Amino acid sequence: MSEILNVQNAKERIDRIEDILASVAAGDMDARIQSDIEDDFSGIEAAIDLLINDLTEELRQREKMQKELENKLSKIQEQQKTILQQQEDLLELSSPVSKVWDNILILPVIGTLDSQRTQVMMENLLQKIVDTGCTISILDITGVPTVDTQVANHLFKTVTAARLLGAECIISGISPAIAQTIVHLGIDLSSIRTKATLQDAMIFAMKQNRRADEIRTLSNLAMPNDNVD
Amino acid sequence: MHDKLAIQLQSQILEEIAKTRAKGVLIDISVLEMVDSFIGRMLSGMASMAAIMDTSVVIVGMQPAVAITLVELGLEMPGVDTALNMEKGMEMLERRLNTRKQDFQ
Repeated sequence: MSEILNVQNAKERIDRIEDILASVAAGDMDARIQSDIEDDFSGIEAAIDLLINDLTEELRQREKMQKELENKLSKIQEQQKTILQQQEDLLELSSPVSKVWDNILILPVIGTLDSQRTQVMMENLLQKIVDTGCTISILDITGVPTVDTQVANHLFKTVTAARLLGAECIISGISPAIAQTIVHLGIDLSSIRTKATLQDAMIFAMKQNRRADEIRTLSNLAMPNDNVD
Repeated sequence: MHDKLAIQLQSQILEEIAKTRAKGVLIDISVLEMVDSFIGRMLSGMASMAAIMDTSVVIVGMQPAVAITLVELGLEMPGVDTALNMEKGMEMLERRLNTRKQDFQ
């Protein structure tokens, strides 16, 4: 036997449901049916309200997460900018060349060397050699744990280029790991002068200076200005 | 520096050496901002030719960029004397000429 449905104001209430659903679809998060009537239809109305609740709650959460992600993204972008700037600064500050003595330059290198940094160092040192006219330079890599083949190559090029300019470049503070890399590369070791410690390198450099002065004095004695003939 | 100019320079220098019977030559390349393999070979060739003519050659004023290029090209010019500047170059030449004098004593 079919039941008789008890529904008051059916037409109105059906219209209302349609309106509310349309509002929610249009974006009104607060639209609810909220019927006061208690009959066979109120079950559906309540269920629809609950559904709208869940839906709008989902949407709110999603909006919140979106905003959080956007905030995080812009923060990360800021940090990236700072990192890039600091990297540039580091590159400039990282390897200063100083003239420690008459005719002697020192380039103390600290930290990991990458190809770019080594290239910058090399150009820096060579320019300093030309600017100061120092014939002896010491490249101290005590603070460098390892190098890759590219960097080892750059170091070798630096020494050779310095010689082409008319100066000598001594490498000091080579670690066992770096020594291995250099040998594996097959670099001609006879062309690089190396010293175990910075101290040894300094002593050698100063001896060279003294020797050069002695030669200069001897040379002047042996050839007083009589070559005008 | 064009290739033709370089070759011209080479022969000019050698002729001057012969004419003046110069015992030493200072080649100042401080105006050279960059070189290619041709110039590189020409420079080291010039030094060798002068050496055969019993003339000492010292190259001075090389710029860092040029040095780097030569190294990368593998043109390390062994046996070619270089000096950082004119002053040091002259000193070097004088020392060479000094040892030469001993040849004739």
